[in-house]
Amino acid sequence: MNAIQFDATQFGAMLPMGVLSATIVAVMLGIAVRRCHRVTAALSMLGAALALVCALPIWLGGTGPVVVTPLLTIDPQAGFYMLLVLAAVLGVLALCPAYFAGYAGDREEIYLLILLGGLGGLTLAGASHAATLFIGIELLSLPMVAGVAYAIHDRRALEGGVKYLALSAGASATLLFGLALIYAGIGRLDLGALAAALAGAGADTPLVLMGGAMLIAGLAFKLSLAPFHQWTPDVYEAAPAPVAASLATVVKVGVFAVVLRLLHAGGGTAAAPFVNVLVVLALASILIGSVLALRQDNLKRLLAYSSITHFGFLLIILVAPGAGTSAVAAIYLLTYVVTALGVFGAIALASSPAGARDRELLGDYRGLFQQRPWVVAALTLMLVSLAGIPVTAGFIGKFSVLVLGVAAGQWLLVGGLLVGSAIGLFYYLRVIGALYAAPPSGSPAPVATGATVAVRWSAGAVMVLLAVLLTLAIGVYPEPLLQLLRP
Amino acid sequence: MIELTFYAAAAIAVIATAMVVTCPHPVHALLYLVLSLLAVATVFFTLGAPFAGVLEVIVYAGAIMVLFVFVVMMLNLGRRTVEQELRWLAPGAAVGPALLAGVLLYLLLRNLWGLDAAPVGLQTVGAKAIGVALYGPYLLAVELASMLLLAGLVAAYHLGKPEA
Repeated sequence: MNAIQFDATQFGAMLPMGVLSATIVAVMLGIAVRRCHRVTAALSMLGAALALVCALPIWLGGTGPVVVTPLLTIDPQAGFYMLLVLAAVLGVLALCPAYFAGYAGDREEIYLLILLGGLGGLTLAGASHAATLFIGIELLSLPMVAGVAYAIHDRRALEGGVKYLALSAGASATLLFGLALIYAGIGRLDLGALAAALAGAGADTPLVLMGGAMLIAGLAFKLSLAPFHQWTPDVYEAAPAPVAASLATVVKVGVFAVVLRLLHAGGGTAAAPFVNVLVVLALASILIGSVLALRQDNLKRLLAYSSITHFGFLLIILVAPGAGTSAVAAIYLLTYVVTALGVFGAIALASSPAGARDRELLGDYRGLFQQRPWVVAALTLMLVSLAGIPVTAGFIGKFSVLVLGVAAGQWLLVGGLLVGSAIGLFYYLRVIGALYAAPPSGSPAPVATGATVAVRWSAGAVMVLLAVLLTLAIGVYPEPLLQLLRP
Repeated sequence: MIELTFYAAAAIAVIATAMVVTCPHPVHALLYLVLSLLAVATVFFTLGAPFAGVLEVIVYAGAIMVLFVFVVMMLNLGRRTVEQELRWLAPGAAVGPALLAGVLLYLLLRNLWGLDAAPVGLQTVGAKAIGVALYGPYLLAVELASMLLLAGLVAAYHLGKPEA
């Protein structure tokens, strides 16, 4: 029996994961030697950035898929999602130093947890086997449980953590059961065979049908699609803002990358029963997410509903056949990640020194413009982008999905998208209105001295600034990006 | 015969697990949990996966037994809890699990002395085959699983810390 051997190409393909793993070990050892918040933060960001650089050639190189054991297949698409995951990880890490600076307990573990979640995302981006799919999803969720409950002695954090732990374990069990049923039906575990089985499922393959249904339910939970969305607002509300950002970006991008491989392999769609299920999930997500966000006074809960709606829009890609649809998914997810990082970043910046509670109620934001004009301006732009108003990145993403839906003749979903966007406009503008409203009477008048109005520079502020610039750049002149993403 | 063992063990696993969920006393529930794990291990044996069965017995049933002991130890706080413990561990509570475990034991003995004990599955997967698979095509899964364990470790370390 020969030992397994890797050649240089395979090592290159695995390099981002290797670098990130090495970073995790280095950060852990660093913490063990001496706890230093700044060193830990710097080391984590350095490692994530290095992994990002290593992922670039995989995406741009354009070489064919590199098969690294049956478990991983690294192709340019995997490279793109690796980049996106790593960029999101980097963005989340950038938020942490300022946000956790005033945290009383140990601050260093959050970096480890976020990096570990990122490794799960990378695994999912390259997964080509049910084993990597499952381990990747677990690696993505488990650190987030601890992240949500990070301030464990706060009752709310504990509640959110327990909710996420129990429900996410239930979803993972469902997913595993689904995989087992499909395996019982076809006797294979590689994602290519699974995707083919899902595409050819029918009344004569009851095991695959049932397994596929459980698989979709498990994945829909991780993407928080209605009716598997109930945990989302509670967990987003309980989580610290950077962890909520990670849940909204790293976790969802990673899971969606593997969903594309399963239900949209080679631009095909799954079998008709699954497509019907996906249409229902998409419509339910769009409508439930929008309607529940309408009267929401908590910004983090509102963003949770908004993310439910956004992934409802994204499901249009899964039911529209065609090779170009993967590029649309890439555009949409890129614009979504940039915007979500920006909006959670702005929340983190606005609330970091606040202490136990994030600044999350709309009432907390009244009159903030006078005190922190730059943060409020960034938040406004990000909300406008989430609403999908032209000149922002969100518009480009939504427009590409709309064009795709029209081309595929999915009128029901296109209608849902329009209705959802219309409702969205209302609740995003409601938040923006609160941002610029006069401060509530009775509170001390803000003193607009130079010290308070000045920008407080931190890694998080740089990240939000980058997100703002990127949102505007993509919104105003998207052509280079579209050229880059279209194969 | 081996098919009968498979179905009986599977049924016992389902019944015992249902009892775990519905038992009001944690100690009773743990008794059924141990039984459920043993039944699942028997299912593994009948399917031709002795290694998985052995792991199930050693790791799960063994670890659960340890957990069981810990629970009893932590509850052992004074005279009142001792009395409560005695009530919980009344012989009556063991009847259900013992009955089901007896069925498992009977089936196991019948199979041990039975002549043909071919597994229900197509082949028997031994420890060596598992080792070869884990360090061959599944090497990266092993590495990633180690990272998953690390994640669990970091999470448990952070969440288990006493309040500063």
